[in-house]
Amino acid sequence: MRWISFAFFNVCRNGRRSLFTILVATVAVAAILTTSGFALFTYQSLAEKAARDEGNFIITHQKFLKAEEDIPLQYGLSDIEKLIAQLETDEDIKSVLPRINFNGLVSNGEKSSIFIGLGVDPEEFMVKGPFLTMLEGKALSNFDNEGEAEVVLGKELARNLKVTVGDYITLMSTTTDGALNAMDFTIRGIYTTGVPDLDKRQLYVKLSDAQSLLYTEKVSSLSVYLFDISKTQQTVLDYQKRDQSLEFTPWWERAFYYQSVKDLYNRIFGLLGGIMVLLVFFSISNTMAMTVSERTREIGTVSAMGSYQWEIIRNFVLESSMIGFIGAALGIVASAFIAWGLVYLGLEMPPPPGSNQGYPLTITFSWEVAGIVLLTMVLVCVLAALKAAYKGSSKSITEALSHV
Amino acid sequence: MLKFSNIVKSYKTGEVVVDALKGVSAEIKKGETVALCGPSGSGKSTLLNICGLLDDDYKGEIWLAGKAVSKDKKVMTQIRREKLGFIFQRYNLIPVMSVYENVEYPLLMLNMNKRERMDKVVDIINKVGLKDHISKRPDQLSGGQQQRVAIARALVKRPEIVIADEPTANLDTSTANMVIDLMRDLGNDLGCTFIVATHDHRMTDRCHRVLNLADGNLSAFNPYETHRRAG
Repeated sequence: MRWISFAFFNVCRNGRRSLFTILVATVAVAAILTTSGFALFTYQSLAEKAARDEGNFIITHQKFLKAEEDIPLQYGLSDIEKLIAQLETDEDIKSVLPRINFNGLVSNGEKSSIFIGLGVDPEEFMVKGPFLTMLEGKALSNFDNEGEAEVVLGKELARNLKVTVGDYITLMSTTTDGALNAMDFTIRGIYTTGVPDLDKRQLYVKLSDAQSLLYTEKVSSLSVYLFDISKTQQTVLDYQKRDQSLEFTPWWERAFYYQSVKDLYNRIFGLLGGIMVLLVFFSISNTMAMTVSERTREIGTVSAMGSYQWEIIRNFVLESSMIGFIGAALGIVASAFIAWGLVYLGLEMPPPPGSNQGYPLTITFSWEVAGIVLLTMVLVCVLAALKAAYKGSSKSITEALSHV
Repeated sequence: MLKFSNIVKSYKTGEVVVDALKGVSAEIKKGETVALCGPSGSGKSTLLNICGLLDDDYKGEIWLAGKAVSKDKKVMTQIRREKLGFIFQRYNLIPVMSVYENVEYPLLMLNMNKRERMDKVVDIINKVGLKDHISKRPDQLSGGQQQRVAIARALVKRPEIVIADEPTANLDTSTANMVIDLMRDLGNDLGCTFIVATHDHRMTDRCHRVLNLADGNLSAFNPYETHRRAG
């Protein structure tokens, strides 16, 4: 404790220089935490979106994700009621939603376009919440007319076909027998996903209507939603062990956008963090080199009194760690304020590539990351001090004592 | 107490080799106060550094309490820590420490318990007359007071030998006299051996013996005898 208080007084000894070094560490830590907080927010948002879109994990035929189908739903799941009933007995599972992926041509009678269709259970809109931004009409939830075949269209697809809510369109697709089938649908709503490419092609229909169109009882996959997303990995492993005939795929294996953004951000922000750490290293190295040089006679004095070299180095390391710790702690406080300030100001980020919607600039403050950054800063300061203190304490005592 | 034999020390400046000590030998007894005198460049500080085990780059032998001193750095450091005290010309107090902490410093290195440390520190600070300045930092003290702190710091662990390098050089006459008296009195009380490099006649007058260095060679005389003859 005594050595720590001496270290503190020594830090205060050249207040302006110490303050400058502390400020460098503060700015670096605040910058690292702010950028990593932004990355964390992005990862969390993308992870939530991916897990919400596809389910915490999906159940498919073994070949569904690996091989191309010769005919629609060749590798689909049949007899799903039994499987759903079995899954719903699991206390961790919140919901199981069957889904059909299909495609074909959509026509307004005069003009046709290619579509990518999703046949979904109406419950999907309740389980997932508002995942589509409805521009006109309603989503497929709360059916008041079970008998009528209804569709919700992507904004650009509707614009291309020049249709609006209440109009009729025809969907044409290949059935599971390889024949062509067509069905008329009433447009119930028009939405945007925020991704122009999807808005140009995507549409949602009821699962039963998709099955009628494809002339099948099968579904493409079952999306499973858990109460606790963190249990995904264990649940997938358990089910995969229990049933080898099906494929259980966690959300992150299907979240290609999430993975690529994460890889990109990790590299960008990792590099940025590395540069910040280097800046702090050079700054603290300079400070410690000056401090050691100025106190050469003091080093000589304590050496003459019988201090070992490691004891002298320890004192400088303590001082440097203190600078690093104070700087990092202030940086953590600053980044918390920045995170709060950004929420308060409500700043928006421009739309990312491939999207036409911006998103709020939010910083996720993580104590875990803050702890790691603080430890890294202290470690960097220790390394910088070691170098300078070793050099200073390696001088001969007589030389150190005669230093002016 | 301390014996050095045939000490040779050379410095190399570029191509020029300067012999600072040319085989000096002497023996200093326990409780003796010995002055090292001589003109600038005579080798006083060099010999003082060697006697204080601050320099291991020399030829010759040093015996402390009858044992040859190894040139191993760890051994030398341990001896300095336990058995030697230092008083410097420019006091060399640690500026961020109070009077109490400066004096306590050598005891901290000896891993003494807090109570014992406190007793010793307070006792020696009382003896050097700085009781009222115990919490002050060095920059709040006069030169004489700082040197008294340095004396307290050197003596607090009751070292066997105190090495003092020009302890009165930066002090005015009255303060220098006070410091000299203090060193003598405390030295007598504690039974320490003093080796003092000095130009100050007031200092040499109070020493048992003066070792005179000239051109790296040593000659000894008794100051009392010299004064009697002069008087």
